[in-house]
Amino acid sequence: MTGQDIVATMKNTAASRRVDHLAKGVFLAAALISASFIFLIAGIVLFRGFIPFLSDNGGLGRVDLFHFLTADVWLIGQTFVSNLYGVGYLILSTLFITTLSLLISFPVGVLTALFIAKVAPAPLAKILRTVIETLASIPSIVFGLFGAGVILKLVYDFSMAIGYQSKGGNSILATVLVLALMTIPTITSISEVAIRSVDKTLEHGSLALGASKTQTNFKVILAAAKSGIFTAAILGVGRSLGEATAVSLVAGGRRSGVSFDLLDTTGTLTTMMLEGLKETTGLDYDIRFSVGLVLMAVILITNLALNAVKRRVGSVHVKA
Amino acid sequence: MSRRNARRLRDFFLNAVTYLSSTVSLVALVAILLFIFGKGYKLLNFDLVVENFESQGFVADFYPGFETCGCVAEIDLPEGSYYSEKWGIALSDSTDLLGKTVVEVDYVHPDSPFAYLRDKGIGSEPIPLRTDYDIIRIAFETAPTALSRYGAANMIASLDASDSIREIEFETKGGGIRGSILTTLVLIGLTLLFALPIGVGAAVYLNEYAAVGRFSKLLRSFIETLTGVPSIIYGLMGLAVFVPLTVRLTGATGGNLISGAMTLAVILMPVIIRTTEESLKVVPDDFRQASLALGASKTQTTFKVVLPSALPGIMTAVLLAIGRIIGESAALVFAIGTTIKDDVSLTGKSTSLAVHIWAMMTDEPANVELSATIAIIIVVIVVTLNILIKLITNRYLKKRLGVGA
Amino acid sequence: MKKALLALVFLFSAVSLLACGAAATTTAEPFDGTMTINVYTRDTTSGTRAGFMAGIGFAAAEADDSVLVDGFIIKDNTGILTAMTIDEYGIGYISLSSVNSTVKALYFEGVAPTEANVINNTYGLKRPFMWMTRAEGDYPSQDVEDIVNAFIAFLGTSDAGDIIANNGAIALPSSVTWDSIKSQHPITLQDNSGVTVRFGGSDSIQKVAQALTAAFMPKCGNFVAEHDHTGSGDAYKRTNDPAIKDTSVGKDVGFASRVFKSTEAVPEAQRGQLAWDAIVAIVHLNNPLADVTAADLKSIYDGTFTKWSDLDAE
Repeated sequence: MTGQDIVATMKNTAASRRVDHLAKGVFLAAALISASFIFLIAGIVLFRGFIPFLSDNGGLGRVDLFHFLTADVWLIGQTFVSNLYGVGYLILSTLFITTLSLLISFPVGVLTALFIAKVAPAPLAKILRTVIETLASIPSIVFGLFGAGVILKLVYDFSMAIGYQSKGGNSILATVLVLALMTIPTITSISEVAIRSVDKTLEHGSLALGASKTQTNFKVILAAAKSGIFTAAILGVGRSLGEATAVSLVAGGRRSGVSFDLLDTTGTLTTMMLEGLKETTGLDYDIRFSVGLVLMAVILITNLALNAVKRRVGSVHVKA
Repeated sequence: MSRRNARRLRDFFLNAVTYLSSTVSLVALVAILLFIFGKGYKLLNFDLVVENFESQGFVADFYPGFETCGCVAEIDLPEGSYYSEKWGIALSDSTDLLGKTVVEVDYVHPDSPFAYLRDKGIGSEPIPLRTDYDIIRIAFETAPTALSRYGAANMIASLDASDSIREIEFETKGGGIRGSILTTLVLIGLTLLFALPIGVGAAVYLNEYAAVGRFSKLLRSFIETLTGVPSIIYGLMGLAVFVPLTVRLTGATGGNLISGAMTLAVILMPVIIRTTEESLKVVPDDFRQASLALGASKTQTTFKVVLPSALPGIMTAVLLAIGRIIGESAALVFAIGTTIKDDVSLTGKSTSLAVHIWAMMTDEPANVELSATIAIIIVVIVVTLNILIKLITNRYLKKRLGVGA
Repeated sequence: MKKALLALVFLFSAVSLLACGAAATTTAEPFDGTMTINVYTRDTTSGTRAGFMAGIGFAAAEADDSVLVDGFIIKDNTGILTAMTIDEYGIGYISLSSVNSTVKALYFEGVAPTEANVINNTYGLKRPFMWMTRAEGDYPSQDVEDIVNAFIAFLGTSDAGDIIANNGAIALPSSVTWDSIKSQHPITLQDNSGVTVRFGGSDSIQKVAQALTAAFMPKCGNFVAEHDHTGSGDAYKRTNDPAIKDTSVGKDVGFASRVFKSTEAVPEAQRGQLAWDAIVAIVHLNNPLADVTAADLKSIYDGTFTKWSDLDAE
């Protein structure tokens, strides 16, 4: 290597280092921007959501925050006159419904992902992936239409068959089914990526040790993809908690009291936000943003809790 | 031997469970498709996709000194068509693209006074009543008005019973969803334009650059928290932040495509970052080390080795994103608005297919049939886009890496 | 093994799809009067609910859920309509323009729910469709103000009445034609294709309002009508609320499907009624009930009657 070459290489290195720095800066900026949106949203929701608790609400008086969080009646007294709003029962039923729907969508979604990634013959996997992607893109209002037209009828007939008169099928069960159908695609697609990213050497090792293909799939691969699958579950929970349009068509709009009876009507924080949002004014309008604030808090706490569990459960690191 | 059998049985059972689980999605999709096809096939035709939503209306009467026709139709009239010899026009009951019953013009005799109407609006040119126009009403001086809702037979009978009309209102066909389809496609492009660079960039930073530690953990948890935010709250953010922002910057007058795309971009951020990151993790470290050892810089390695290998994953992210864009309604209702429009512009108010459905469903009475029809079209678009993108990715991968994916 | 699995999958899909298919067909069992009445209602912000509750003499329930029977179900317009095709023991109410053959529309106090009966004032369950405009001089331009004034004048004509009737609402009787008053509105003689007028307010009125502006456009120099209907509450908020009327969502004309509240007070000249809408109590087609009284409905909605047989006992 001549001296000139060395100088050129050094120059190149210096230049590429500058480029590297620049690129890193750009990527960092992208990450920072992505991370900052949550603050923007939190800021707006906090600002709007706290108004009913702080202001006089046009003469109706401040809403009592403690009553709001614990009451088991949505509104005591007349709309536009009373300020006795409460969402305590909605928080509980929202969590109950989300848990139940996850009990269905999580196993189904993860097993579907495993099927697509490892079990199914290639053409079948392709078809199923398209099925999942199509299902993911069906507007929630269409799920709602389907829920109102088919699932309500199914639940109604089912309950009649077992000798129980349901409220036209509007029930926790119908809500859970609709939500489960809506979250399966989310859970499946994220889990599938996680399952695929499991190191091949783990799989080969397991097979070499004499485990069958199925045993490997269930005992090694699922365990190794734990972290990603857990993320999928968190996303699924997020979607369940936040879904409004479809749920409002099958829940029945319960206004008071928690019910854990699967065939009784129910309500969630989101349906409460959505119902009447378009037609209402004054405090009755503003309070819906407070419901949104509670919803955000519920989601945040659930996410933190699930992430803590995720850390606890731990994961086999695929890549450091 | 029995232990092997037991294992086989267990394996069979476990496999059966995966098969059955996958069937759930399949059954759900088939059931939903059957449901929307059953509801919406009647309105499904090509006109719906290419026609404008807004129809042009006319109001007109006869020129003074007009003469009734008393003429015989020169063509064979379609079945179900009512013909008035006195006036020389044929009308029939029909259904417009919105599923509403209308009275459609089948035929106008050249000598009919309806072939040469006086514009009661600001135009001075005579306007002819053309076939395929829908008649809304024909008003008379004394007799009760013939309305389209009472049907073609009644309208013809009312005409035959009168010697003149006071005015006639008619319009071109409307109800098409061309504008909403176009808007949806523009929204997809625009949103990906905003979301992909930032999302993929953030994923690259988190996976390739950031040291494992508090800072990157914090960033990740902030981004992940976004996934839990319900659409309706994103919509509120769009309304409170992006709409005013774009109004100030672009001269839009309210919710517009740019503010909508920005809102959608934020919604999609976590999905894109998460999926891209998962696919970046799959890229073997050997690739990176080999590239670096060969003298490539970190930037070169990222752009030329890591990102191309992660392309299928990024494509998955894009597909998920497109699915979400097409399906999103709650947020867009706030961030764009529900105005259905034919001329699509970036700063205009036109709306997406999902919101179009939403607008139809919140109408009183709701138009379930048309909603189902639009849902069919959405599914068709999604499946087409899926296939297209997969073809492109496969071809690209073959070229790039010399392997089929 | 794969074949066995695929057969299993096939069986499972077939069974579940059949179940869904079975759900699509109606089961025909005799109506059981001892069953509980499932009470469906709109939420407290709905104009239809206010009109219905006032009409059955249960004004306390217009804006208060706690006086309703336990276990009522809240649905929107479409939801109630769909529910009555599924729930044999349900009762709900919708606007007359939404009624179709999949449900049974009940007579009210012996009077059939028809437009004719609303016009001749024998059918009592109804609500008004109202309009509201911006204050004089508070429009984006003089042209817009003139067009709005012409439009309001048009609403009182028999021509507008035709359009209203054509879209399922019930017009107020009028013998004035647009032809006879249009000379008072010279704005209609000029080309207004560059002028946009913004309409908003109740979604219940959207269809009627759109048909009205579509009919008025050629009569008024082809002005551009922009419709953005978000609810009765916005009729006032977006035309006259100082905090909102001048933002991007501001409107020139707002519609409400209920009487304006005391909090929505504007001068007389800025508001008025354009039509009536009948509200109809509906039940499942299998329900033998044909006629209800206001007292029956009140007893059902306040929980005095909880079983269908309670209505017969009377």
